Amino acid sequence: MGRIVGIDLGTTNSLVAYLDARTGQPRCIPGPYGSTLCPSVVSLDPDASIIVGEAARRRLLTQPERTIYSVKRLMGRGPADVQSELQLFPFRIDPNSNHVIRVMLGDKMFTPPEISAFILRELRNWAESYLGETVDRAVITVPAYFNDAQRQATKDAGRIAGLEVLRLVNEPTAAALAYGLHETQRGHVAVYDLGGGTFDISILKLISTGEGDIYQVLSTNGDTHLGGDDIDNLLQAFVHERIRETEDLDFSPHGELAQDLRKSLIAAKHELSEKESVTLRFILPNGKTFVHNFSRADFEALVQNVVNRTMGPVKQALADAHLAPSAIEEVVLVGGTTRTPLIRRTVQEFFGRKPHTELNPDEVVALGAAVQANILERGVSNMLLLDVTPLSLGIETYGGAVSKIIPRNSTIPASAQEQYTTGVDNQTGIDIHVLQGERELAKDCRSLARFTLKVSPAPAGLPRIEVAFLIDANGILQVAAKDMRTGQQHSIEVQPSYGINDTEIERMLEESIEYAEQDFAERQLIEARTESEAILGATTKALANPQSAEIAATERSNIEAAIAALKQSAAGTDYKLIRKCIDVLNHTTEHLAELLMNSAVSTALAGRKLAEV
Amino acid sequence: MDGLEQKFLQLSWKLHPDNFVNTDERERELSLQRSSRLNDAYRVLRNPVARVEYLLELEGMRKEGEHQQQAPPELLEEVFELNESLDELREAKSAGANLANLAAKLRAAEKNFGEKLHEVDAEMKTAAQQWDAALDANASESDREAILQRLNELLNRRSYIRNLVAGVEKELQGASC
Repeated sequence: MGRIVGIDLGTTNSLVAYLDARTGQPRCIPGPYGSTLCPSVVSLDPDASIIVGEAARRRLLTQPERTIYSVKRLMGRGPADVQSELQLFPFRIDPNSNHVIRVMLGDKMFTPPEISAFILRELRNWAESYLGETVDRAVITVPAYFNDAQRQATKDAGRIAGLEVLRLVNEPTAAALAYGLHETQRGHVAVYDLGGGTFDISILKLISTGEGDIYQVLSTNGDTHLGGDDIDNLLQAFVHERIRETEDLDFSPHGELAQDLRKSLIAAKHELSEKESVTLRFILPNGKTFVHNFSRADFEALVQNVVNRTMGPVKQALADAHLAPSAIEEVVLVGGTTRTPLIRRTVQEFFGRKPHTELNPDEVVALGAAVQANILERGVSNMLLLDVTPLSLGIETYGGAVSKIIPRNSTIPASAQEQYTTGVDNQTGIDIHVLQGERELAKDCRSLARFTLKVSPAPAGLPRIEVAFLIDANGILQVAAKDMRTGQQHSIEVQPSYGINDTEIERMLEESIEYAEQDFAERQLIEARTESEAILGATTKALANPQSAEIAATERSNIEAAIAALKQSAAGTDYKLIRKCIDVLNHTTEHLAELLMNSAVSTALAGRKLAEV
Repeated sequence: MDGLEQKFLQLSWKLHPDNFVNTDERERELSLQRSSRLNDAYRVLRNPVARVEYLLELEGMRKEGEHQQQAPPELLEEVFELNESLDELREAKSAGANLANLAAKLRAAEKNFGEKLHEVDAEMKTAAQQWDAALDANASESDREAILQRLNELLNRRSYIRNLVAGVEKELQGASC
């Protein structure tokens, strides 16, 4: 079996990390551009190959209709859920999507787990080429607030990418693991995680026992629509408004310019974490330069509301854990947005202590996932993670009300058993609707699954069926039913309300492998073409060298024939043929190269005294 | 750390699915079943009210979903007053009248019932201790029955008061004052 890695599948960026056996420390793996951050962007090239990461991010402007970002927002969600997202994100959703959203890239349709799978496959490639080993298993992090459908979708993405997902770990929990707080601290820890698109707060308890250390998550809360993107939106709206006022210029038709402006605003935001003020300069379509001086105070006034919105969930999480802010011994900050000084200050004031910021807040979640991956790889460990379910599990009862059977913040795995019987004679089925959420009415909660218990005809009230609802260690629901009269296991088909079934996953896995192969071929072709250009250039230069006059006419015509063959093959798409032609040209020019090398050496030596060599 | 928590953590070490990642499917399934049961048990036992409910279910005193929603007699007058105030508040709300006075009155009532809830909790704790003592002393069936009856009454009263308080909270929130 191959290696297990830890993956942070983020809204904006994704990362992969492993545990370095030499140092015993987790490390993030860099990609081809040298950065450990892989932009969570996927683009479908017109030649049908898939492009992921930085290269795809660059296509956001040039090929927006073939490129998608922030796909995490669509994971495990139905078309009705994402209407508000569509106001903010230019997702092109297939209007015929029913229970699963399909996004269009060019003229092809993909489900969100398929798109996430492309990102996972890319990270897997990074890890495999860096480690020189097969990677087939992973620990993937999810926001603590993710519901069952979102977790299932993440797990499905892993499967489609050919990865066995051993564990989904909550992002804040992973962050605490990365800090290795159990080694130095006992007591209560708050993890405040404000990323690009989501906010999470978790309250953990660190306990030492005879067997080792336990991370027990006491409570978790958050907001799936709160993050650095909101700050960027506020900044952008503010500046658009200014430009409209002073220049009478509407930015909405200028998609590309708006993106450029957003980029400079994000840069300004980052600078304001270090500096007290920045000057924003931006060239407008009318040729004028827009200049605005942002002080940190202006900026903070603008984003105060975003920061305030994080405090509600923080207070709720503390209340659920039955703790006062002063009972928290350590505070950990996660997510790039926590670099904002206003956030650091607000958190510090609320808890009355300085938060941990030693690790890179962008990497900390992936690092923690690698720690958990290592624990699982070794099987036995002196550390155990006890996570909780973020939302209550309930069942629809008569009249559309919800009966809660597993309360939120229950340690997982957790289960509940419910008994069912029939209401009328010879009833053949009992409909069951499973929901997740805190509201009292079924229509206000999130539908997880519906299924019908099949019953053999009998007088009303006689059949007795026990249904066991189980939330596994990943926070994903499993359902089993038992006939209490016969003791027989009852088979049930659970159709997830917003999920993909097994057959579809198998099909997607196959397609994804095809893409991967196409991908590989594509890369090989690009590399072969680049190499052929290099060798063609060098040969042309060599032939132009006066020294080459020394070679025989037949040799020269052989070389010219090899050049022509290479040029022809490079115009095609068969990378193996290009490689072969490169080899032929290399071989044909061996003598010429030797000749030039010798003359180069003598040129280099010319005019020098032997002693100087 | 109390005995219950210690036992819970000890068993968690043994049963948690993370310890069984590299084992066969059957073992993984067993670990999942058992650790979920462990967590369920801990969830019930560490909460005094859930614990009493579970005890009463075990002893056949109480069936899930069946409990009295009758006002305890000694609270009747106060409950009557409270319901009147709630009606007034609803009327005032729909008429768009000034709610400040009514809200203050309701808040006082909410506080009053909140205190009663604490009293019930304290009484329940005493009764639960009596139950433990009765078991230790090998008390007669009728003595034990009496304690269970008392616990059941307290539980009914508790859920009644809690519903009242929750109802008032909801109305006050709606009044946003």
